[in-house]
Amino acid sequence: MVDLIKKSAKSLQESLFSSVGSSVLTIATTYLVINFFRGMLGFALTSDKDWLAVLNNMQLYMVQAYPEEDFIRVWLSVGLTFVLAGLSIGIWRSEARVKSSQVFNSFFKGGLGVLFFTIIAPTNASFMGNDGSVITEEVLSMDSRLGILIPVVIFCAIFFSIRFTNVSFTVNSSDMVFFYLFIPVALLWFVKLPTIQLNQNNERIIPDPVMPIASSTKIPWTVIFVSFLVSYFIGMYLKNIKSIKSIMSLSWFLLPLLIFSWIFKKPQIDMSVVLGSDLPIFGVFLLWGFLVITFVNNALFKKYYSTYLGVTFLLTLAGVFSGLPMLAKTCLLLITLFSVVVPAVSTSSQGKRSLLIVWAVALVTLTFLLRGGASDTGIVVPGSSIFGGFSLTWLLAIFGTYVSFPLGVLLALGRNSKLPIIRIVCTGIIELTRSVPYITWLFFASVTLAVFLPAGVEFNLIVRVLMVTAFFSGAYFAENIRGGLQSIPKGQYEAADAIGMSPFQKISLIIMPQALRAVIPTLVSSAITAFKDSSLVTIIGLFDFLTIGKTVIGNQSIPVNFVGHDRENLIFVAIVYWIFTFTLSRRSMKVEKKLGLGER
Amino acid sequence: MNKKAIVFLLVFAMVIVACGDTTEEAAVEATEEEHDHEGESTLEQVLERGFLKCGVSTGATGFTEVGDDGSYSGFDVDYCYAVAAAVFGDYSKVEFKQLTAAERFTALSAGEIDVLIRNTTWTQSRDTELGNDFGPTTYFDGQQLMGRVSDGLSSSSTLADIDGLRVCTNAGTTTEKNITEGAGLVGATIELVTVEAFSEAIDKFIAGECDIVTTDGSGLVGRRAVNDALNDWAIFPQSPISKEPLGPTYRSNDSQWADIINWVVYATIIADEYGVTRANIDSFDYDAAPEMGRLFGKNDGELQTKMGLKADAYYNVVKQIGNYDEIFSRNLNPLGLYREGGANARWTEGGLVYAPPAR
Ligand SMILES: N[C@@H](CCC(=O)N[C@@H](CS)C(=O)NCC(=O)O)C(=O)O
Repeated sequence: MVDLIKKSAKSLQESLFSSVGSSVLTIATTYLVINFFRGMLGFALTSDKDWLAVLNNMQLYMVQAYPEEDFIRVWLSVGLTFVLAGLSIGIWRSEARVKSSQVFNSFFKGGLGVLFFTIIAPTNASFMGNDGSVITEEVLSMDSRLGILIPVVIFCAIFFSIRFTNVSFTVNSSDMVFFYLFIPVALLWFVKLPTIQLNQNNERIIPDPVMPIASSTKIPWTVIFVSFLVSYFIGMYLKNIKSIKSIMSLSWFLLPLLIFSWIFKKPQIDMSVVLGSDLPIFGVFLLWGFLVITFVNNALFKKYYSTYLGVTFLLTLAGVFSGLPMLAKTCLLLITLFSVVVPAVSTSSQGKRSLLIVWAVALVTLTFLLRGGASDTGIVVPGSSIFGGFSLTWLLAIFGTYVSFPLGVLLALGRNSKLPIIRIVCTGIIELTRSVPYITWLFFASVTLAVFLPAGVEFNLIVRVLMVTAFFSGAYFAENIRGGLQSIPKGQYEAADAIGMSPFQKISLIIMPQALRAVIPTLVSSAITAFKDSSLVTIIGLFDFLTIGKTVIGNQSIPVNFVGHDRENLIFVAIVYWIFTFTLSRRSMKVEKKLGLGER
Repeated sequence: MNKKAIVFLLVFAMVIVACGDTTEEAAVEATEEEHDHEGESTLEQVLERGFLKCGVSTGATGFTEVGDDGSYSGFDVDYCYAVAAAVFGDYSKVEFKQLTAAERFTALSAGEIDVLIRNTTWTQSRDTELGNDFGPTTYFDGQQLMGRVSDGLSSSSTLADIDGLRVCTNAGTTTEKNITEGAGLVGATIELVTVEAFSEAIDKFIAGECDIVTTDGSGLVGRRAVNDALNDWAIFPQSPISKEPLGPTYRSNDSQWADIINWVVYATIIADEYGVTRANIDSFDYDAAPEMGRLFGKNDGELQTKMGLKADAYYNVVKQIGNYDEIFSRNLNPLGLYREGGANARWTEGGLVYAPPAR
């Protein structure tokens, strides 16, 4: 014990006070940091701040005006995501084990953090009263400070001293996820906070009565937690099924589409159309793709391959200009592309199987998108664009990345293409998109499109913004990926040619994996930028997460009265943004380490 | 999953996305061909769209507010609802667009909204230069200033007293122009700080970064009331420094649409004159008040149908939203704004709220 203290004191001295200069720096920085947090805590705790302005508006923050009777769609989407996550964690369950000492150490550190803030929190803080005078009041009395300190010190002491006993065990690192998820769900049931209640005269009751927080969400969250747990076990059980991992990857791929159409649209499904036109078309094209895949090796097919391609192409052209249903037209386009690509890829029976899966999935997605995407939003929101707040920010970030990443890969490849026309078009798109500020594109989406379209023709604004965003971040992704492509030595291309790979195999198996691997850090930072940039949509009248906090809540007057409480909301918004971006960049650092980036 | 398949997924993702977009575009193009919208009147556009697009404020106490469930309320908001009730018979068919003072007229002329009801002052230049027309005034307001009692200001202070102070208001308003002009006239030098939205000005005022905030009196009274600062903040001068008649604004050259909006406002005022409210609208004796009967389409509703509306359009307005007095007291009385004794009283009681006869 004494040894340990001596040792740590010595290492502290070496790292922080090794010379006069570094001692000064250490002290100055510590002073600044402590003062910063003191100031923040003092600011947050004075009685003129009304943190209920944040708490009472959680629904507004999350979904804005999304109608309550359709919340089930949101919960289903969240639930489905958690079920998939549970299954995946079960299937890819890592065998790595976390030592108990590590777990205890992190508890200990967490306790120390709380201790730090409790100690430095100011006793008195001042604010400006309505009459302009500075009011100083006690924000944290000695009693309440001790009331926090004592339990936390005991907590820390326990977890610190455990390391000197021989209590030691290991936990599976995947299992830990449940623990971390369990805590917030349990808190929902037990924590009580002041809430806003109105009396019969529709006035706010002061002081605010203490009630369980977010009581309407605790049942859904508990259900979600339980399904998460169950799917985890199912996942472990399914682990050994052969193609389960491919199925999971596919589900992850389809999930955003499903969620998008669930939350965004309430398509009125017309059974007669589905049975009479969608299903037959779907069947015909499934069969067509199947035939192409099956006979791709057949000598006869090879011989007439170019004729077949020509005919398909003509058929597609004719089809596009005919009165065929939309689904048939797009399927025709798809089969043409598919027929071009298939011979270049795979001939083994394994490859054929996965091709067939890909084809089926593509068709399902297409049908789904056409049915869900082209019909009217059936969701009635009196007043505003269908949703806003965090869901909108999240949608712009996730869906923007989801669409723009593949787009970026394509554009990057196109820019390196040997065909001049493709190269010029891709370079044009990239340069055009990048040379105009994002805000201008947003205005283009909101104003210019509306002026060009004849009166009465409406795209949902959110859809327009998504399109513009996809292209904008796609262009940036493309440039990042192009950087990655250029870092690949020529020898790699030549080697691939030498063993007789087709161009497609060369790109997909040799070049792209290396190029993407090299640019992961820049890709992540682009994704983070996209997440933060989404707050720019406020200038075209959409209510993202920041706008809700900045302009909406500070105007709620009677009976809640949050007028003038914008600062609390801005702090809350900043913290949430920080949590998300910080987690994202931490994760990506771990991935980089795992891939050994920067080490060779 | 095998690597080739992953790459394929990527490729197909792009194809699908591309197709998804084209199809939506194509679908839109199809509708375009079906109905050519050129030269369509605003009413036709609104009816076809199925909802009204109404421009409101980003937040003005008592006039436009958004509740914690995302629902809208307020005096201006109620007039948007009233227009929807007249056009569709269902007040909820509105989409609100919250606009700052600076962007409101662009939004109106670009066709992003059908009508602007956003504490907008009727001025000569806005009426002539911007391609707008103004409907009847719904709220007679006037610009005032608000400062701290501890700075030596009181309700009897005048513009001359703000010499050397920092004055905050929002950009693109009449407020901004009036205060510059007014301070110049009395020889007061002020530091004018303009912000995007008026709530920022209030935040700055509370934080002590502004000594004075100025806007329409209604906005000041409401905010002082909810901030519990009746004794700390003074609103002055007693008679406002400007006239701010606030009312609906629409694009010029569509007199059918203008008539509809105007008569929505008049209908609420006439209903108030006869004492017809949401509660007694169905038990009211219309035989004793033929004007009310005509307005509500009790007999044949010829005039409403000539306007392009249903005969009972204005009945729906009062039934669903209420008369002028109900709209006013519901939204503004809690904030300490009353009709009695002011310009917003009935004309029979010395106010300016007056409607032409329904005949
Ligand atoms: N009546 C003036 C001022 C209108 C105005 O901006 N009013 C304030 C409050 S009284 C407002 O709506 N602020 C909300 C915002 O800034 O968006 C005008 O038409 O220019």
